Amino acid sequence: MNRRSLLAALIVTIVALLRASPSTAEPYLAVEEGYKCNVCHVNPTGGGLRNDFGITYAKVLLPAETVDNSIDTWTGKLTDRLRIGGDLRADWSRDTAPNSPTTQAFALEQFRVYADLTILPDRLGIYVDEQVAPGGSQNEEAYVRYGSTVDGIYLKAGQFYLPFGWRLQDQTAFVQQVSGINMTTPDKGVEVGWEHSAWSAQFDLTNGQANASTGSGYQVITQVVYTKPIWRVGIAGSSTQSGAGDRHMGALFAGLKTGPIAWLAEGDIVQDDSLERTEAGGLLEADWRVLKGHNLKLTAEYEDPDRAVRNNQQTRYSLVYEYTPLPFLQLRAGYRHYFGIPQNNQQNQQLTFFELHGYF
Amino acid sequence: MISRSTNALARAGVALSLAFLAACAGNGDGLDANGQPLVPGGSASLPLSADFESIQENIFTPICSVCHAGASAPEGLRLDAADSYNLLVGVPSTEVPSLDRVKPGDPTDSYIIQKLQGHAAVGAQMPDGCPTTQPCLSATTIGFIQQWITNGAPPAAAAAATVSAPLAVTSIVPDNMESVNGPPPQVMVAFNHELDVSQLATYSAHFEKLAPAAAPTVIDQVPARMSVSSANLRALMIWPVQPLSAGHYRLVMDAASSSQISDIAGQQVTLGAPDERGENVISTFDVEALP
Repeated sequence: MNRRSLLAALIVTIVALLRASPSTAEPYLAVEEGYKCNVCHVNPTGGGLRNDFGITYAKVLLPAETVDNSIDTWTGKLTDRLRIGGDLRADWSRDTAPNSPTTQAFALEQFRVYADLTILPDRLGIYVDEQVAPGGSQNEEAYVRYGSTVDGIYLKAGQFYLPFGWRLQDQTAFVQQVSGINMTTPDKGVEVGWEHSAWSAQFDLTNGQANASTGSGYQVITQVVYTKPIWRVGIAGSSTQSGAGDRHMGALFAGLKTGPIAWLAEGDIVQDDSLERTEAGGLLEADWRVLKGHNLKLTAEYEDPDRAVRNNQQTRYSLVYEYTPLPFLQLRAGYRHYFGIPQNNQQNQQLTFFELHGYF
Repeated sequence: MISRSTNALARAGVALSLAFLAACAGNGDGLDANGQPLVPGGSASLPLSADFESIQENIFTPICSVCHAGASAPEGLRLDAADSYNLLVGVPSTEVPSLDRVKPGDPTDSYIIQKLQGHAAVGAQMPDGCPTTQPCLSATTIGFIQQWITNGAPPAAAAAATVSAPLAVTSIVPDNMESVNGPPPQVMVAFNHELDVSQLATYSAHFEKLAPAAAPTVIDQVPARMSVSSANLRALMIWPVQPLSAGHYRLVMDAASSSQISDIAGQQVTLGAPDERGENVISTFDVEALP
């Protein structure tokens, strides 16, 4: 066994031994390449199952080293009409907070599998995103899709993630927490989307998370993104009608490529009548492709949990290194430092993590 | 031209980065630990932190126990200060029995987190009706509960301090002469010491359904199994093997069973009081039919 085989076997063994995070969405890759989300993903709003090009990108363009195509014939397609995929993330993390005991643990963050069945080519399909671990199986997305997600109008109906700002991999990002929309909070309803040239637009009518148990109320979301090769800009708005109080949100987000660095920025504002407060969140991320297969991610975040209250703002800074040595395998190491009010220990925690990410 | 524009945008990006870096966290002046303004002359309540006492005082008691208390507690889960720990830690949820309500060290697989986040496979997000009839718990608040679980879900310091007192039963749910709405998933007997689980096999009990008459007449028996979770050695759980239908019940230690419950230090306490046959009755209660 040569050294490379030994290394590969070791990595596979570690993945198996570690009990295996949220599904993958890395919008910085789209900004780096000037792609729209539907270039790599079956879902036109990004994340989850990769399409033919997404698989090719994962095999050839993303990793530091490629594998001989005669050996690696995986395309994600089981048949002409059925495509599957998955993401598995296992990590070790260490959490320290003032006046609190340090904790560290291995964890299976998430194992998700995806399937897309084409019923009528380029017209009608069914998509499923199922979290199989940890815990019991849990459906995240299941919808029927009619129309073209490449160029034209499509309709989705069922359960799906909502389009609102950058669909980041890190579900704990402040902007995701402030809006409450991320890849762990799907909703049921319908989405009408439009993909044409540099434009992507979605209009969603859903129950709204706030109304999940009441059977009344609704949520309306609209998002429009304009994508050019080195920059893009998007705007999103959401309104939830609920008996306890309405919730209105707005987001402005943008991406820019400058040399080897991809920049992502987002600002969210949320007016929550049920809590009688206005929240704000911000994100600035820089991804530097140091070498092929190597990415250095720097993130600065800001959150104001209540605009009417002074001195309560929080910030978070992250440094994450992502190494993709081979197709379908990524190693991540990161450090996050939270800064908040001094009397709250959890708002001043420091998180260190190492993660293995296998995907197909 | 494009290059010049790109450079200008890059400079704008760097300037924005610096602006972000310069944005400081709040200094917390005039705020409590939850980031809320201090009320002049307000009560010196325990700030929310990742320990059970604080979570009980700030979340379970004021928010959850509005519904989760007493005879009509949904799913038999009482979240008042007396019972919440013993009915949470290491106790399987009734909605998804494969998941414990609180699994020490594992917030992801703790059902309470799934319920609070609204991702549970069964039922509605908690607090019930949020945010229509009341606010949902914020991610930060849930984070404290997650952290407590990650820390091993230790009991309140006051509970841990009772080891110097003699072994005693501190709580039974449902308790004697209590009437509960719907079949209780289990009877919980809480102690002030950790129990000696090696003695568990010597205990056995059953439920007796009694006829509505002055003299106790047994009209049905339901076997029970007993367990003590390794996550909480202070709570003895007694589970009916089938749901209890509406009626009048008593939980009785089997005639062949020891009623002397031992803690890990060898102290003993008698569980229950003898009935007319000399068998120890742990609790007598009524199960009301659900509307």
